[in-house]
Amino acid sequence: MAPLKSWLQVDPKSHFSLHNIPFGIISTLDTPEPHPAVAIGEYALDLHVFSQQNGFSALSIIQPHQKVFSEPTLNAFAALGRPIHRVVREYLQSLFLDNGPFPDVLEKNEQLRKATLLPLKNCKMHLPMFISDYTDFYAGLNHAYNVGVLFRGPQNALQPNYKHLPVGYHGRASSVVVSGTSIRRPNGQILSNPAAEKKEPVFSECKKLDIELELGCFVCKPSKMGEPIRIEDAPKHLFGVVLLNDWSARDIQAWEYVPLGPFNAKNFGTTISAWVVLIDALEPFATVGIANDTELLPYLDEKDRKSNYAIDLSVSLTTSSSKTTNIGDLLGSGTISGESKTEKGCLLEQTDNGKIEITLEGGEKRTFLEDGDTVTLTGVCGSENGALVGFGDCVGRIEPAVQLNL
Amino acid sequence: MASGSWLSIPKGSHFSLANIPFGIISTPPSVAKHAAVAIGDHVLDLHEFASHQGFAELQDFPPDHLATFSQPTLNDFAALGQDAHARVRRYLQEIFAQESAFPGLLKDNNEVQRASLFRNDEVELHLPMKIGGYTDFFAGKNHAYNCGCIFRDPAKALQPNYLQLPVAYNSRASSVVPSGTHIHRPLGQFLSTPGAVESSFGPCRRLDIELELGALLCKGNKLGEPINVNEAESNIFGFVLLNDWSARDIQAWEAVPLGPFNAKTFATSISPWIVLKGALEPFHAVGILNETKLHPYLREVRKNNVYDIKLEVELKTSDGETAILSRTNGSNLVYSFAQMIAHHTIGGCPLEVGDLIGSGTISGLEPGTLGSFLEASEGGKRSFDVSSTSQRTFLEDGDCVTIRGWCGEDDSNTVGFGECSGTILPALKPSWLET
Repeated sequence: MAPLKSWLQVDPKSHFSLHNIPFGIISTLDTPEPHPAVAIGEYALDLHVFSQQNGFSALSIIQPHQKVFSEPTLNAFAALGRPIHRVVREYLQSLFLDNGPFPDVLEKNEQLRKATLLPLKNCKMHLPMFISDYTDFYAGLNHAYNVGVLFRGPQNALQPNYKHLPVGYHGRASSVVVSGTSIRRPNGQILSNPAAEKKEPVFSECKKLDIELELGCFVCKPSKMGEPIRIEDAPKHLFGVVLLNDWSARDIQAWEYVPLGPFNAKNFGTTISAWVVLIDALEPFATVGIANDTELLPYLDEKDRKSNYAIDLSVSLTTSSSKTTNIGDLLGSGTISGESKTEKGCLLEQTDNGKIEITLEGGEKRTFLEDGDTVTLTGVCGSENGALVGFGDCVGRIEPAVQLNL
Repeated sequence: MASGSWLSIPKGSHFSLANIPFGIISTPPSVAKHAAVAIGDHVLDLHEFASHQGFAELQDFPPDHLATFSQPTLNDFAALGQDAHARVRRYLQEIFAQESAFPGLLKDNNEVQRASLFRNDEVELHLPMKIGGYTDFFAGKNHAYNCGCIFRDPAKALQPNYLQLPVAYNSRASSVVPSGTHIHRPLGQFLSTPGAVESSFGPCRRLDIELELGALLCKGNKLGEPINVNEAESNIFGFVLLNDWSARDIQAWEAVPLGPFNAKTFATSISPWIVLKGALEPFHAVGILNETKLHPYLREVRKNNVYDIKLEVELKTSDGETAILSRTNGSNLVYSFAQMIAHHTIGGCPLEVGDLIGSGTISGLEPGTLGSFLEASEGGKRSFDVSSTSQRTFLEDGDCVTIRGWCGEDDSNTVGFGECSGTILPALKPSWLET
């Protein structure tokens, strides 16, 4: 597809090309209350100021709903439904198009441009949505397999239920934070010797702090209690996608998780990227996922619909001494881990549960995360300059555990 | 001890003057939701009472505090803190006292009574708080032991971690509903026989209850900042009864390794009146002894850290037959709510006003004291009698389960929770769903 050209200077390598138009929540010195915006190149278009100054004048369908652009989260905009998201996104794209249909709205309107086009570096980002519930699935088959091998050997790597149903559990909504928030190493109970017959837990800071490279998807349409969502209708319920780092305390997890699943191992923090890439922006990159050789029950059968997305994902780790390594070996496409030995979405897999050290560019070694480490997840669809659709950063720095006087 | 009231309160009422539980009501035909308290068979609408100067004699309670009674949930009132709750409760006890110091505000004021005092059957009850997170613990040791014996050798009934940490999972806040809400049997995947190789799909065949207590929070903590176990009681607003309806067959198939999910998230019912922590102060009790030496962050100074609450479970079948299935006590817990809160936040997890904490199923050890059908039917192996003509292993469509709980021996000072009930309806099967 030929890249769309804008009158605005947009770096050809920008993840916020004209093909993207992701939505987020910003605050600025001029408007300190969090409010909606979209990202384009190195700018945010402040939708609150834009709508207040009649920027949507050429889009009649949004006229009765403009107060959604003054809300502190995107929930009200999302609730308007996908047909409206599509129309608003296309309208905003058209405003930035070279030789676009509405040049008087923004391109030729210096006053509006000054008021609404803000350098991203002057914007503070906030959680894009109010999250009432957060469910974490386990759909990365390669990750599930790799982890299973570590604990049970290849024959029993995947549980009997794995290919029949998407296994999931509830995370803690209150612990989801926006990219840039510091993550404190958790304290908790861990086994001093996991292999010992008699289990003796000690109380300690987590010693196996890990990442989990994931995608997050936001819901825009609810369902009623007791009424399942038909799989063909599911896309209507989806708003957009972010990167998600499900920070994990592997030692706390190993001791606590039988029989009710992971809990404190996960609820100390989960980071998401700040810009929500709408489903429509991802459609050109739709693809098939990993084949499931099991015959699925009808309620799960998508009948060959291309419902995954080809997203190049990478993880980089910056140590406290500021040496950055692109753990290029952690590149994966799809959900969590790739197939090859070098495409792992978490340190548990990458280091064989702490048995193999990875060497960073500065010569430092790692098994699990250390205090001061900063982990950045990035993701981008496509490879054509000027047409990249990316997610921005999903980043968190590990702070030392709280010292408790007990 | 509270004295009698000028309002007629039936003997044995859960809502004596010693209680004063808080809830959210609307008064049809209005749909506006307000804070209210329950007294005997009546309800005092706090928004209306405030609008009619009912709180004129309450000191240090400015207009913004009063405004919390006009909100559609109790979250803002809860956030005022336990001191404020205690003062409002004492004030309302005085308003309703036989020898009230302020008779002109309600006792002798017909106009205010007409505007704010209603009979139970004149109001609708709603979820009392906006619940941001709902965590379910597993602190009923007898239940954990009984269930373990169903699946394993009794010597290994409890998992190695059980007595070291209060095991828990996050459940689904959006599925918490008020008592009286009908519960549709869930659809899902399960193994029709234990050794089956293929899973089946259809309505759950092993639908169960779980008798629990719920704590609702009035105070939270910041991300990264754990709550000290000896301060955690000040985070609690009050308590409700909780029925964690469970689909045992769906649970068995899905739960490894990430815990229960669809087995639980189709519904959880709570009683509508929140009994404030202050009302339960006379009923502190010692729980089930934990012989393990706990880690310091779980060592609570208070030894009587649970409550002596009489609990009962009643089943009414669609034929109208009624039976009490179980009688047990809220002190059958091996961890307190303070310990649950301390464990929940030890890694830095943030809790918030309105969060719901479930205790886990509460059971005794003997038949007739069990908090789930799984235990009463010994894992579905034995049916138990409901009446001379009815038996059950698990719930049937049309069954109505009611949980009741109350404290105190004195008929005129009972502190109770009212009822937490739900009726099972058949699974909703959309026309498009192939089963």
